[in-house]
Amino acid sequence: MVINNIAENTKKLGAKQTRGETRMNIIACYKIVPDEKDIQVRSDRSISIDKAEWVIGQYDLNAVEAAMQIYEAVGGKVTALSVGDRQLENSKLKKGVLSRGPQELFLVIDEALSGADTNLTARALAAAARKIGFDLIICGEGSQDLYSQQVGIQLGQILNVPTLNAVSRIVAENGKLIVERSLEDEVEVLEVSLPAVISVTTDINQPRIASMKDILAAGKKPVTQWSLADVGLNDANRRTEILYTLAPEQAERKRIILEGESEEVLDKFYELLRKAI
Amino acid sequence: MSSEIKVWIIAEKPQGTAELIAGAKNFTDNVTALVIGPQERAEQAVRLGAGKVYWLGEAGPGMMWEDYTDTILSLLQQENPALMLVHATKRGKLLAGRLAANLGTTVLTDVMELTWEVDRFKATRRVYGGSAVRQERALTGTTIATVGSGVFTPLPEEAGRTGTIIEVPFVEPKIRIKLVEKKKRETVSVNLPAAKRIVCVGRGLARQEDLGLVEELARLLEAEMACTRPIAEGLNWMPRERYIGVSGAMVKPDLYLALGVSGQIQHMVGANQSRTIAAVNTDKAAPIFNQADYGIVGDLKKIVPALIARFKAE
Ligand SMILES: Cc1cc2nc3c(=O)[nH]c(=O)nc-3n(C[C@H](O)[C@H](O)[C@H](O)COP(=O)(O)OP(=O)(O)OC[C@H]3O[C@@H](n4cnc5c(N)ncnc54)[C@H](O)[C@@H]3O)c2cc1C
Repeated sequence: MVINNIAENTKKLGAKQTRGETRMNIIACYKIVPDEKDIQVRSDRSISIDKAEWVIGQYDLNAVEAAMQIYEAVGGKVTALSVGDRQLENSKLKKGVLSRGPQELFLVIDEALSGADTNLTARALAAAARKIGFDLIICGEGSQDLYSQQVGIQLGQILNVPTLNAVSRIVAENGKLIVERSLEDEVEVLEVSLPAVISVTTDINQPRIASMKDILAAGKKPVTQWSLADVGLNDANRRTEILYTLAPEQAERKRIILEGESEEVLDKFYELLRKAI
Repeated sequence: MSSEIKVWIIAEKPQGTAELIAGAKNFTDNVTALVIGPQERAEQAVRLGAGKVYWLGEAGPGMMWEDYTDTILSLLQQENPALMLVHATKRGKLLAGRLAANLGTTVLTDVMELTWEVDRFKATRRVYGGSAVRQERALTGTTIATVGSGVFTPLPEEAGRTGTIIEVPFVEPKIRIKLVEKKKRETVSVNLPAAKRIVCVGRGLARQEDLGLVEELARLLEAEMACTRPIAEGLNWMPRERYIGVSGAMVKPDLYLALGVSGQIQHMVGANQSRTIAAVNTDKAAPIFNQADYGIVGDLKKIVPALIARFKAE
């Protein structure tokens, strides 16, 4: 893989200049989610995800990409990590994340993690991260399904290391990070010591598209599967209880769809718009 | 209302403080506001209805707002309020998450509605990109919840309100992040929720140059310009304040005209309260057509100029 060759070179350079001090062990966290397009609404407005295809959260790909870019700059290693239920065993999804660059994958799979709240997810990730070892953990802005934007933050605090959200730029230098943090009306430039946990914005990078070769290579990368007991997490209790999940009432729409770009069709569309204003 | 439940609030900005105090007063007279900023803001919190204000002082030049996390944590641990409302800005989310992790609890995020029943707070929020609404409750001591702008309406300031202001000494953070520099970011002020007509562009707009054309149509329609999230974040063709959706603005105009918008749930949940939804999209199978009143399957680069010509001819 071209990506790895470049990285190998950078790694050697970096190692020579600083005797390996700048190389980083990076963990990129991701969550798999039911594709919301496949969610079915029952007549009582309750929802079913039984028929949904599972996908890697859109914004977690930014976390993986951010990890890869740091690795390509300073060397070290990128490990992907996810915690959840048996849906994680899906081999297409394992290849999906590994084909984007990480050298190794760790999964904590336990039925107790099915639909976990942010606290339990963060505690499970923390337990696994301690076992793997890390200089830096990168999370996405928020999960595609629940989008609480909390797991990265809580994870950092549980691990008792510096933790930041909204990071839109990362430069690794001399064993620490200079980051930009995009807030509502200002951008902060911050110096973060390592180890640290960082959640990145959705526009920090454009996640790479895996080639066929990357996907084939992904199948050969090491995958380790743990249970909660394996990572030493005994308390799998939730801090929240879900009372209901219901689809909102939808307004009926007219669904008058015109086809073609002829003058008559355009006249008709214009008339419809005129009547609406 | 009860005066037994203790509810605390914190927000970065005065508007957030005003909204959260009003929200807290739905449940109790016992509202405590935590204020970081000039003393005047602490006094204002009293006029807005806080019976007690913990005034944490003003952040010095090299300090981050979040450096107060340990100070706030020690207050929380001493007094165990039933609820801590945090305004859902980026900083607010970081603060809420760090407090929750320290207290061994979770955060109820982006709360739309909050109710108190027997001995617990229940909160609703959107899940699955807006496909559903979920109600949950926290099972631990202090419930920590983040609430965005617009959920609660501030009470008018009243000079007659009384309250105590208590100055709180700063607790040195255990973990420090060094602030190197702060840069102002350009923001635009636009009130999309109040717009009567909206023209919204999506990634179907292939080139930024074509925005001019859409702007001309918007002018003729006396409509506000809006966009999908990738146009504002990623492509950066339009300011963030103009994107509609679950993580952006929620709108309800008379006419919402979508140009080159696929109609993903995360976007549509922000627009589906519109009276009329119209869409232009080259893909007959685009999900937006299932959620539109009027649609035309075609290229926006042809259809927009044709509409401009017709509206101009009026
Ligand atoms: C947690 C989370 C939160 C999100 N929050 C939001 C949010 O708040 N708001 C939001 O908008 N998105 C949000 N998204 C992103 C959302 O899922 C979609 O990716 C996004 O809305 C798609 O934007 P789009 O319609 O512009 O682009 P696309 O989905 O790429 O659609 C472009 C459309 O343009 C059509 N097209 C192409 N060429 C032409 C042409 N010449 N003329 C006419 N039509 C053309 C195509 O057929 C296509 O349907 C969120 C995603 C996640 C995971």
